[in-house]
Amino acid sequence: MASSPSSSSTLSVPDQIRQLNDARKLVLGDVKYYPSVVRGILPIVGPKAPIELRRWVTDFLAEAFATPALPNSEKETMQPYVLTTLESLIETEVDAQVLRNVIQAAASIYPLAMRWIINNSYDTVTWERMVSIKHKILQLWDGAPPTVRICCIKFAQRVVLAQTVASGAEHRYGGGLDVSLDKVPPNHQTLDPRILEAEASGLLDRMLSIFQGNNDGLLVDATLNCLSIMARTRPSTSSRILNALLSFNPLQAANSPLTPKTKVMIKSMEKTSRLLLIHLSKRDPHNPIVPRIQQHVETTMRMVAELFDSAGRKRPLEPKPQDGYDAKRQRIEASQIQIPPLGPGPHSLADVFTLIGNDGLKYFDVSQVPPSLVARIAVNTLCRLDAQVLAKAVDGVRGRLETLNNSPPAELNPNTAPLGVEEDEDDYEPDFYQAEDTEQILNKLDNAPAPAAAEPRISLDDTLGLRSFSLPQPQPLTPEMALTAGKATVTSVLDMMKSLDDPGTKKQKAGFNRLAASSESRDSWMTILTRLATRSSAGLEEITVKDEAADDSKRPPSLNNSIREILYNYIMEDFRKHIDVAVSWLCEEWYNDRVQRKAGSGSGGGGDQPTYYEKCTLRLIDGFLPYLHPQDKVLTRFLSEIPELNRAILSRVKHMCRDPSVTQLALTSLLYLVIMRPPVKETALDVVQDIWTEFEDARPMASKYLSKYRPQFLENATKENNDNPTPAPAGTAITT
Amino acid sequence: MTFRSMEAHLRLSQANYPVISFGTGSLVRLPGPTITQPNVYQFNKTSYDSMYKELEAKDPRLYRNNGILNMLGRNRGVKWGPERWQDWPVGVPRLQHSSDKGSEGTEGGVVDVVFTCEERCWDAVIDDLLNRGSPLNRPVHVINVDIKDNHEEAHIGGQGILDLANSLNAAAAEERGTVGPAAFDSGSAAARASFDERVPEIIAAWQERWPNLPSTWTLAWF
Repeated sequence: MASSPSSSSTLSVPDQIRQLNDARKLVLGDVKYYPSVVRGILPIVGPKAPIELRRWVTDFLAEAFATPALPNSEKETMQPYVLTTLESLIETEVDAQVLRNVIQAAASIYPLAMRWIINNSYDTVTWERMVSIKHKILQLWDGAPPTVRICCIKFAQRVVLAQTVASGAEHRYGGGLDVSLDKVPPNHQTLDPRILEAEASGLLDRMLSIFQGNNDGLLVDATLNCLSIMARTRPSTSSRILNALLSFNPLQAANSPLTPKTKVMIKSMEKTSRLLLIHLSKRDPHNPIVPRIQQHVETTMRMVAELFDSAGRKRPLEPKPQDGYDAKRQRIEASQIQIPPLGPGPHSLADVFTLIGNDGLKYFDVSQVPPSLVARIAVNTLCRLDAQVLAKAVDGVRGRLETLNNSPPAELNPNTAPLGVEEDEDDYEPDFYQAEDTEQILNKLDNAPAPAAAEPRISLDDTLGLRSFSLPQPQPLTPEMALTAGKATVTSVLDMMKSLDDPGTKKQKAGFNRLAASSESRDSWMTILTRLATRSSAGLEEITVKDEAADDSKRPPSLNNSIREILYNYIMEDFRKHIDVAVSWLCEEWYNDRVQRKAGSGSGGGGDQPTYYEKCTLRLIDGFLPYLHPQDKVLTRFLSEIPELNRAILSRVKHMCRDPSVTQLALTSLLYLVIMRPPVKETALDVVQDIWTEFEDARPMASKYLSKYRPQFLENATKENNDNPTPAPAGTAITT
Repeated sequence: MTFRSMEAHLRLSQANYPVISFGTGSLVRLPGPTITQPNVYQFNKTSYDSMYKELEAKDPRLYRNNGILNMLGRNRGVKWGPERWQDWPVGVPRLQHSSDKGSEGTEGGVVDVVFTCEERCWDAVIDDLLNRGSPLNRPVHVINVDIKDNHEEAHIGGQGILDLANSLNAAAAEERGTVGPAAFDSGSAAARASFDERVPEIIAAWQERWPNLPSTWTLAWF
């Protein structure tokens, strides 16, 4: 092995290289030989050594300090003596390849050297060597050929990484990438964190200045491709990096004549910066700058596409793939989908949207497939479709439409030319042309009846031309149809509401401030339904009602009544649980009756509006009374909460007493009214009296209440009763 | 990973270029009896030979007719099995791949140029390199050459990539030939320019020769 200058000098350069290659194979096979091999070959390379050896050895050193196979601790102990060689080489070196290797090695060593001096602050000699190499590299940065400059950029990146504070968020990188300013103790003998930070900040500015007016794609790409790790792991750099990226315009190079080379570079810079921005926003999706990034990416993409599009128009079109060949290959990949431009016309609308070359498929009549199946296939396909494929296909079709739009208008066939074209020409506004075109097509697509197979091919000029379009006359809507549709809607609202049924979570009462559908809760839907039932056609139905109010069945069915029916059924499904619905519904009915009455009397109609409140209340109470059991509080609640009570309603309560088991319930409910609802106090007491009179079983309990509120009556009644033991018929006793 | 990259691998290795090939997807997917039943294999774990044997046992006629067996038969002569880009430990010595074609020269575990055959793969490679954080400080040219993934296009695309590799290699050889200060002071402008700087113009010239193979390039870092 070439281990000393004296032994190597006796060998020719090619022999030495051969030996060195063997040594490299050895260390690649087992990295533990690295320290000894590196130590062994350093002496053969100095500024005076043959160029081939300088290139080989520096390349080897760059590799040694880069490979992840060698632990960092080994690299760290190797760097002090390697730095001596690197320093001597960089002072005088002019060969670009050697310089490149040296700078790459220095970039890998820099964080290691920094960690070394952090932990071994006595060894200022090694650190000073590193600093001197750094200054030399930073000097080279501006004047060197591009291939060296990109390495200087990378070196600067490592310096910035080492000399800024890490976020601590991503610690999985290991190696030199984790060396950062926060590792430097504040009172370190040699390193002053503030100076290091200031230097890093300056270097970052210098790196980012490349985006201002540099047209060299190589340098720009080299910078772009090393920004990610900084922006992600060094928080203080990220906003500066993002701002620099957002103000970067890869098209500034387009000002010079657009040679094939500048095109390659513009495309490269745009694509690379786009990927970097997307990469960064993907990893920090909540950053407020993300929308700006997206906007910037889209704008730049469009600008570049436009630039190339206008420049590339003259390029010959790709020859059509051989027929029949594509039929076998249905798999579509983003990049391989090709939208061939339309050939010479005339084209049918179908041609514009046909993206495949397979004629068999092209004439397949999709309308024969059941719509549900088509929908399923379409949804499935769209789910799985690569967004790029879709974008490409849409662009392709858009391009075709634009081409068609820009192509000279076809000569008008006098036989088929639409009439009135000439007269319209003066008023014609070309601005609307494209928009209407597209809309027209969409209209057509939406409304097109299934094209008959025998139909002649529609030429594109017809399909794309501006023609008036009128929707087919809809079937006249009969009240029955409207009613059925309305009913179906209400039923589905109710079904949905049932699924929302969640009595577990009681919210605070909205009270009078309740707004229909202000939230998507059961309550708000119920409010909508009750208001629909009560108000939707209120005021429109007086006339019929006046004549036929006596007989409901003869009245034409109305949506209101069918909603009432639905509400009634809903409440009766579980009247204990739905009593709140019943109350709010009745409140709405009562309110509406009042409003209608007021409106009716105001307009002089004389109060011939139909009223619903009482009817609905009676129906409900008749509905649930038979099912009450002695402990049901629901009756008490119902009676106390509905807005208005009258004799008719309370007489239903009276009839409950036919069943002795609920007599108490009826009487306590009435008592509650007596105590809590003064306006109906007297009516309620009248009913209690009636109960006393009519139902002998209920007398003991009724008399308890009456003795307190109507002692006079009780006295008279008992007296009377003693005279005449049969109870008076109801009719006579309660006449008031 | 199926037709294109292996075709390119074969071509480049036949031309004595050191070459490593990768897929960027999550799994190796080969067409199956229907479009929804692909044959799926793990990267780095399944050899081309075992895939060949499995599919030959499954349905020899189908897989012979759709060209899969033919391709796998060729691939198993090129390298042991498919590798995944994202799992590649760049810079770790690669000595265990000595039976792969084109392995000579890749022992260091790095390359100078990466070719992709599809824009999506190029994007995946760049995103992965950004993610890795460029720890090796080593520049790498990443070039996409759009090739449709089928036998015929792969064949044409393979020729295109080989042509591009030859052009790049010629420039690199020229750079190696220029020695010392002479590189700065003498010779034509083209010869003076380094390999790295010449890549864009080499691609531009190549693109004129291969107008139907769209390309994208960037200089990235390992």
